[in-house]
Parts: sequence; C-alpha cells; structure tokens
Amino acid sequence: MPSLRRAKPAAAQSTDAGPDTPPSLTPAELAAQRRKRRTGTLIATPGALYLLIFFVVPLGLITVYSFATRTSTGRTSLSGWNLNSYERIADDVIGGIIARSAWLAFLTTVLCLVVAYPFAYYLATRPPRLRARLLVLVMIPFWTNGLVRIFAIRFLLGSNGPASALSEAMGFGTFRILFTPTAVVLGMVYGFLTFMVLPLYVALERMDWRLVEAARDLYASGAKAFWRVTVPLTRSGIVAGCVLVFVPSFGSYVVPEILGGAKTLLIGSYVARQFQAARNWPLGAALSVLVIVAMLVAVAINQRNSANAERTQGVTR
Amino acid sequence: MSSAPPPDAGSSVPAVEMHGISKRFGDVVAVDGVDLQIGDGEFFALLGPSGCGKTTTLRMIAGLDIPSEGRLAIFGEEVASWPPDRRPVNTVFQAYALFPHMTVAQNIAFGLQMRGIRGADADRQVAEATALVQLEGMEHRRPSQLSGGQQQRVALARALVNHPKVLLLDEPLGALDLKLRQEMQVELKALQREVGITFVFVTHDQEEALAMSDRVGVMSEGRLLQVGTPAEVYEHPANRFVADFIGRTNLLEGVTESSSAVRLDAGAVVAAANGLAAGSAAALSVRPEQVRLHRRGETPAGAPCLDGVITDATYLGHAFVYTVAIGPTAGASGTHASERAATITARSETGSAALAAGEPVSVSWSPEATTVVAD
Repeated sequence: MPSLRRAKPAAAQSTDAGPDTPPSLTPAELAAQRRKRRTGTLIATPGALYLLIFFVVPLGLITVYSFATRTSTGRTSLSGWNLNSYERIADDVIGGIIARSAWLAFLTTVLCLVVAYPFAYYLATRPPRLRARLLVLVMIPFWTNGLVRIFAIRFLLGSNGPASALSEAMGFGTFRILFTPTAVVLGMVYGFLTFMVLPLYVALERMDWRLVEAARDLYASGAKAFWRVTVPLTRSGIVAGCVLVFVPSFGSYVVPEILGGAKTLLIGSYVARQFQAARNWPLGAALSVLVIVAMLVAVAINQRNSANAERTQGVTR
Repeated sequence: MSSAPPPDAGSSVPAVEMHGISKRFGDVVAVDGVDLQIGDGEFFALLGPSGCGKTTTLRMIAGLDIPSEGRLAIFGEEVASWPPDRRPVNTVFQAYALFPHMTVAQNIAFGLQMRGIRGADADRQVAEATALVQLEGMEHRRPSQLSGGQQQRVALARALVNHPKVLLLDEPLGALDLKLRQEMQVELKALQREVGITFVFVTHDQEEALAMSDRVGVMSEGRLLQVGTPAEVYEHPANRFVADFIGRTNLLEGVTESSSAVRLDAGAVVAAANGLAAGSAAALSVRPEQVRLHRRGETPAGAPCLDGVITDATYLGHAFVYTVAIGPTAGASGTHASERAATITARSETGSAALAAGEPVSVSWSPEATTVVAD
C-alpha cells in the first residue's frame, strides 16, 4: 500500500496535473483499483457458483412448485398456477402442526437459554487456558454423527433404558417419555444446545466485568447487577442464540422422527411426508417457503439486534 | 515512616482507617501491611508507580477486593467483610465504567434506584448532580456519544449523587489529554471543597498528587512508604524511593560521617543533618532548583560546594537545565580511587547568565534544602 501512495505524485506529474486540480484518481490508481476489483471477483466465483447451483436454483424451484397444481395421480402440473397450497396452510390440521412445531421450538429455545446461560457464564469467567479446553469439550459432540447421538438418547429414554431402570429402582415406576413431545424437546435441547452456548459465550467473554463492579459499587446486589447490567449487555448473544436454536428446532426433522411418536408430527416431518408418501409437492413446497420466510424474519431480527448492540456499545469498548 | 496526623476537619472519627491491611493474590503480595488514617473531609492521594498496590488498596476500601489480613473501618464501622453494595462509598473508575446501554441520566440514577429512591425525588437528585458537573442538556445521550471529559463528569455525577461518605477515584484523569487533565484537576479540587466529601484519589502522576491533595501517601511494592502533606513528602522524603519518585532530584551517594555530615562518593564531605548511625550508606537528595551554579572559584562561603564541568545545557524557555559532571572525571587533581563520578542536574531561571557545555563550574546548595535518605 505505501508504495502505491508514493507512486501518486509521480503519476500526477506525468499527466501534467497541477497542484490545483481537484482530487481525482490518477491512471495508476485507477488501474490498481480495477486490479483489486478483478481479484475480488475471481476469488468469490467458486463459492458463488456453488451457491447458485445448489441453493438459489433449488430455492427457486421450490418457490415455483409452491404455486403449482397437484394432479389427481400425485404428479405436479406446472400449467395451472394457483395459491391453493398456501390456502391449505390455514387448514386446522396444518395450522395445528405449525402451532405445535412453534411451541416445541419455543420450549426448546427457553430450555436451551436456561441451561446454556449459566454454563456460558462459567466458561467465560474461567482463566483463558481452561476456557480453551472447556470450549473443546463443548464442541466434541459436534464431531460425532448426529444420528448416532439421537439414537443414543432414544436408548437412554426408552422403557428398557437406563433412565427408566433408575426411575424404577427409586420406586417411581417405569419411565415413559420416549415418543412424546417431552422426548422431542429433550432431544432438540441436546442437539441445539451448542448453538446457544457459543453466542452466549462470545457475548459474555466480551463483557466488561468492571461494569458489574461499578453496579455493585452503586448499591446493586449481585442479582440486581446481573439483571440490570450483565443481561442487557449480553443481549446480542441471547438473541443470536435464541434465533440459532429456534430456527432449526422449528424445522427439525431428524429428532422428531426418531424420538417423537405419531402424535408429535412436526412441520419438518410433515413437509418430508408431502414430498415422499403423500406425493403433494406443491403443498410441501408452500410449507417450505413458509418455514424459510419465518427463518428470514428471525435472521432479520438478529441482524437488527447486533447492529443495535454495536451502536450502543461500540465506542465505549 | 513519618505519619503526620490528618488535618482536623469535621468529626474526629477518621473517614478511613486501615490497620495492617494486606492483600495477597496467590503468591503475589499486592498490599503489604498498610496502616493508614484518612480524615473526614480530606483530599487524600495514594501515589505510586503502576503495580505498587494503590489500586488494590482503593478496591479494598470499595469492597471490590476483600483484605487477606488487617482491619478496615469507614467512619468507625468495621467493613472489611462487607460487600460493596453495603458500603457508604462510591468509586469513579479508571475507565469510568459507564453503563453503555443506559443514557447519562439513567447512569446517574442507577445508584438511587438500587437504594429504592425513585420518582420525583430521584429526578430532582439526578438533576442536581447533572448540574453539579455541568452536564445539563446531555441527559439523554449515551456514554458513547460523549467526549472523554464528559464521560468523566458522568462518572463523577453517578458517584456523587449518592452522597457517599467517601469518594474513591481510581486514576480518574488518566485517560484525558494534558490540558483537559489540568483543568479537571482544578475542577475536582473545587468540587471536593463544594461537596465536603472525603476524596481518596489514586494516581501515578506525582505532580497531580501534589497539586490536588491535602495529604499524599506514597506506595511502592505494596508498602506505604510515607504519608504527609505534599510539602512534607517533597521537601523531606522519608527514603530514597520517595525522594526519587516525587519530583526530580539529585541523589548523591555517600556514607554518613556523623549525624551532621555525609561523605559523598563524588569526593567531598558536606554538612547534612541525618538521623543515621555514622558509617551507614545514604544518599543526599538535592532538588535541581536548589542547586546553585557558580563560575569556578566564585563559591559562597559556608555552603556545601563541589567542583564540576557542565556536560549539557538545555533551554526550556522559562528555565535552563544543566547537567554537571562532578567527582574524579571532572578534572580535579588529587582524587582518591574510591571516589566515583556523579552528575548533578541544576535548574536556573532564564534571566540569569547562560552557561555553556564544557564550562568548569562549582555547584552549591544550602544545607537546609537537602535531605539525607537511606534505602
């Protein structure tokens, strides 16, 4: 960079630009700018192509299909465009599934927050070396196959599993939560806990603890300092964690399939069913679009939240 | 350690009283057996280089650190084990520690709210505190929208609104630029007189400490070395560290001859009262502004006098600062092998005749202007 700058006066002289000419770019600078832009385009191309082929195109197809018609034989006809699939979303059955999915996702999010906040707090307040080790421990489940982990939970919660045996030994009778919404929520909390822990950890790790001391100095008890200072200042982490947990919980497919029973039909499974057994691609597509829109709203909330956090805290950090 | 009694003001109960206060962090002794009394209404400065334990001492008064040992009382009440929210003290933190998610008014109101003061009463007190630090019109800004000096005022108002019995200030001017810092020194001093609250002020800036405080406590390596008025610690430093740390001084190494004379390593016996046994290693502290320069041979009678050569002359506008080499290398004949070279810094008003480097001179000082310090 410095060499470029030094080149400027020389270039300016060669084009006979006097000292009074307005600050415009010299040919050398323009060339450098063009080179930079070209390099940028080049390195972004592979990623952009990949996303275009495997994300944008399928997403477009889904959107198109959601306006298509299902023929009586279960084929998808692209000739008659209509909103029938979207109208069906308001249906009691589907509405119930959406409400149940949202409710379980909400429960999962709240549980994750309650479990993850103290843990992230603990993590963030350890000495740096211990912190790094504990973080690795948090990540380990991620390196294990998700399906294996969920089946392990199924074994754990099953009526022949250890949880049940323990409950029986303690005189509480057998343990029957597998294939219930409770099992689904437990499984999702486990599966998505890391998504809550990490943003909370980042927020708490950035936390300026002197502010808590200031609050304590200003007559706040430990609990009051926590609610009035720590929580508001880690709000960005809380919102990010909630979005990151709620979104996949809402559309979750694997966990409810394995741990949920017939009564716990959630939107993820329902969408899959439309594409497979029910052969109603337009409805499945419409529901997918709905889920995607819900996620986009959540992401937008998250973005606004982090922009706010930067605005209010940026300069004093 | 000369421990001057606090000047009498207000009640006879000291605002802060420490007996044998120590604080250890693992193997590190941050504060080592500090005894200190700070009077009611006093402006007290804890002065020392970074890492000397002054901030830890302040934090123990605030309750942010709990002493490992010793007794600590605030206005006669034993508070050593009290949590910070129970203590009648407030702190202005080093980087202000303003709540970034609250407005100026919300920051100032925080302490009141925590004590259950709300509504019109709280609003009135916040307005008063805002006026006290001249921040009217800024109430609805966020700390990030304020300049450093304004943030500093918010921090002051946030503490003072609670009418603490003792206000603790941890390097409150450290983050400001020189000009603003000097303005704030004057303002803080005036503010303290106005509110009449005991101020305990931590700083590493000796000029700031001397300029602002009624008494100064000098700390080094966890120990409180000397407590006294600014004049006492400047003119009669208790030991070598204090002499060196407070202001600029010439430390001339030597050995005491008697209780009234010191043999300097630079090769002269000079009159200097000291309370040390004959033959102890000591240093003579002479402030640069007390050093007189004379042309060689024109020395006044009766004053301690050394011959030397000017090695450097620096023009500062209002004064000259000269460095004078004294002792064996200065060209004097008949020196002993045991004599060692030394340099003396002298400072003189610009009005006097300028001397040039290389000039042979004699230096003198009045015996009363010096202090003999041991290690």
